[in-house]
Amino acid sequence: MILISFDIDGTLTVGDPPGILPMDMVRAVKEQGCLVGSCSDRPISAQRAIWASHDIEVDFTVSKHMLPDVKAEFEADMYYHIGDREDLDRRPALEAGFEFLWPHEAVDMPWVDGPDA
Amino acid sequence: MTENAPATMYRTDEGTGPWEHRGKVAAVGVGHSPTARRWDGRAETCVGAISLIALRRAIEDAGVDPAEIDGLVMDPVTTTGAYWPKGKPVPEEVTSAFNSTDNPLDGIAGLSAEWILKNMPELTGIDFTMYGPGCMSNAICVAAQAVGDGLANTCLVLKSWHNYEGRYYQGGANAGSDLPGTAALHALWGTPACYGTALQFAEYCRKYGKNHDMMAPFIENSRQNGLKFPEGYWASHRPEEITPEDYKAARWIAKPANLFDNDLPIMVSAAYLYTTAERARDMRQKPVYILNHAASNTRPRSLTPTLDEVEADTARTARKIYEGAGITAADLSFENMYDGFAQFHQFHIEGLGYRGMKFGEALDFYQTDISIHGPNPILPSGGNIGCGRSRFWMHTDCIQQIQQRAGERQVTGVKPEVAVSGGPMPLGGRFTVWSATPD
Amino acid sequence: MPKQGVVPDDLTRPFWEAANEHRLVIQSCVACKHLQHPPAPVCRVCGSDTVEWKEMSGRGTIYNYGVVHDCPIRLLQEDQPFNVAVVMLAEDPGIQMYSHLPGTPVDEVPVGAEVEVTFEATANGQMVPEWRVVGSSGEGGEPA
Repeated sequence: MILISFDIDGTLTVGDPPGILPMDMVRAVKEQGCLVGSCSDRPISAQRAIWASHDIEVDFTVSKHMLPDVKAEFEADMYYHIGDREDLDRRPALEAGFEFLWPHEAVDMPWVDGPDA
Repeated sequence: MTENAPATMYRTDEGTGPWEHRGKVAAVGVGHSPTARRWDGRAETCVGAISLIALRRAIEDAGVDPAEIDGLVMDPVTTTGAYWPKGKPVPEEVTSAFNSTDNPLDGIAGLSAEWILKNMPELTGIDFTMYGPGCMSNAICVAAQAVGDGLANTCLVLKSWHNYEGRYYQGGANAGSDLPGTAALHALWGTPACYGTALQFAEYCRKYGKNHDMMAPFIENSRQNGLKFPEGYWASHRPEEITPEDYKAARWIAKPANLFDNDLPIMVSAAYLYTTAERARDMRQKPVYILNHAASNTRPRSLTPTLDEVEADTARTARKIYEGAGITAADLSFENMYDGFAQFHQFHIEGLGYRGMKFGEALDFYQTDISIHGPNPILPSGGNIGCGRSRFWMHTDCIQQIQQRAGERQVTGVKPEVAVSGGPMPLGGRFTVWSATPD
Repeated sequence: MPKQGVVPDDLTRPFWEAANEHRLVIQSCVACKHLQHPPAPVCRVCGSDTVEWKEMSGRGTIYNYGVVHDCPIRLLQEDQPFNVAVVMLAEDPGIQMYSHLPGTPVDEVPVGAEVEVTFEATANGQMVPEWRVVGSSGEGGEPA
C-alpha cells in the first residue's frame, strides 16, 4: 500500500497559486489503489470542499503539521508527501518519515516503480 | 516634497476636552481596488496602479469633480515584510507604463504623493499633501485634522499594500548572515511578527483563566463577516470559512498564536474622500461625521509590552476616544477595532469597555452572539482575519454601516449611529470615532 | 542554537563588547538612575543625554514565553520548534531580555523560575547573553 499526501497551494492546479498537478492525476493515483489525501494550510473544511467539488473521495484531510498523525493512522508500505515549500513541505515531510517529492518530480508518479526507480 | 505629519496632528493627550473639529469633518467617498495574493509583475496590477483605481473609485463614489480636490494624505510605505530583492532589476515595462519619479521603485515597492499626482492628471487642484505613515488609521487621523484645520477642504486619503513572491518577512536581514547590533537585541531569537501579541495572550490566559480555544468563535465570526465584504480577499478569491474545528486544528506559528490568528498578506489599496461637514451636504453619499480621532504614543518599557502595559494603555486610549468625541461606551452601536493579529482584538475592546466589558471578559463575550444580526456586533467588517491584511477594512465598514450600504454585512441588531475603529497595535494605535450625525 | 552574527553599532557597542567579556551590562541614566533596554541615545524617562553602562548580576526570572514553530530567520528554521522566553532582570523586573533557554525542553518552560546568564557565540564569533534555568520555582508552562 502506498499513501500519497498532496499539498494544495502551489502544488495542485486548483491551488492558490496554481501548481502543476491536475486533479486528474489525483484520480489516477486513487485508481492505482493508493491512499490519498491533502495536507495543507487551508482550513480542513476548505480542503474537504475542494475534494468534494471535484468528486474525489480522499482518505484524509489534515493541517500542515499533521503528517505524523497521518502516518500513525494509516498503515502503508510507502508514504509520500508532494509539496512546493522547503520549510513547510519538504522538511516536515522528511521529519515525519515520508518520502518527499517536488511537484515536477511527482508528475511521472515515480511511486509506481518504487522510490529508487 | 511631501512631509510626514507633525506629532501635533495626532491627538495623543488626555484631558484636552472635545475635539475642536468634532462633527465638522466627514467621510463622503470610499474606493477599493481589487485584491491579489501577490503581484503578478504586470504594470496594471502594481501597487501604484491599484492605488489609482482606489482613488478614482473614491472620487466617483463621492460624486466630486477631481479638480475640486485640494488635499492628499497617504502612507508612502506599502509593506511591512515584502521587500524588493537587492540588485533585482526594476522591470522597465512597468516603470515605462507610468510617469515616474526619481525613485525607480516608486509605484512598485512604495508610493510617493509625487507619483500619485504625476499619474492622476485630473487632480489639478491639489495644494496640500502629507504623509500619515504607518497605516490607514494614521492617515485618516491626519486627514481629519487637516480638513478641520483648514489645510485642505476636500481631501483624498490613501493606503496601499504590495506583496511579492516568497514568504513574507523571510527576505532582507532575516535571510542574511549578520544583524546590526541594535536589531540583534530582539531579532537574534527568531521571533515571528505575532510573537509579542502571543506573549500578551499567554499572560492574559494565565491571569484570567482563559484558553486559546475560546478564540474560535471570534475567528469564525470574523471570517463569516469578511466573506460578506465583496472587496475582501477571501470573498473574492477563496470563499472559505474557518470553523472552530479548522481553527483548533491549525498549526502554531508562535504558540499560543496559530496560523489563523495571523492575517494573510495581500495586494490591496483603499481610498477615502474627506471634506468639511458643510461641503459634505451636497455630495452623493450620506456624510459620515468624524466625532474624534485619538492616538497612543506609548512605548513599552523594554523589548515587548507586558499585559499590564497593554491594559493601562487601552484604558487610557478609551478615555481619550470618549472624551474627544463627547460620548461614552454606551453610545457605541458597534466596534471595528483592529485584529491583525486576532489575539489583541480583545485588548482593544476591553479597554473600550464595549458593552460594559471589563478586562478579562472578552473571551467569554466571544461565546455569546457576536454576529452582525445580534445586539452586540463584534468586528462587523471581518477585519484582517476576514478580508486579508490591509488594516483598513474596519474603517470602510464603519463608513458603510453608518451609511446603511454595507450590503450583506449590514448590522441588523443595532441601529448604526456611532462606531469606533482603529489600530494597529494597542500601544501606538490611531483611532477614529464615526457618527451618523455631527453632534 | 545557532544565531546570526552581530555587527555592533555605536549605540550598542558597549553591550556587545561586555558580552565578549562574559559580562552583562545595561544602560543606566546618570541623572535619574533609570535602567533602559534596548539602549537609546538619551534617557527615556528624564531626557538626560548622560547615560552609562552598568554591570548586572546576571540573575533574573522567566516572565513569559512562546514557542516558535514558524521562524522568519532561515538560520533558525532547522531548530523549530523552539522556546523564546522573556527574562526579567533581578535588578529591575521592567528590563526584559529574550532567551532560547538552552537546556529547557520545548514548551516546558517554568514561568517564574530563576535563571542565570550564560554567553553563546553567534555566527561571527560575537558573544550574546543567553539564560539557563537554575531553579524550579516556576508555576509551569502551559501558556494557553
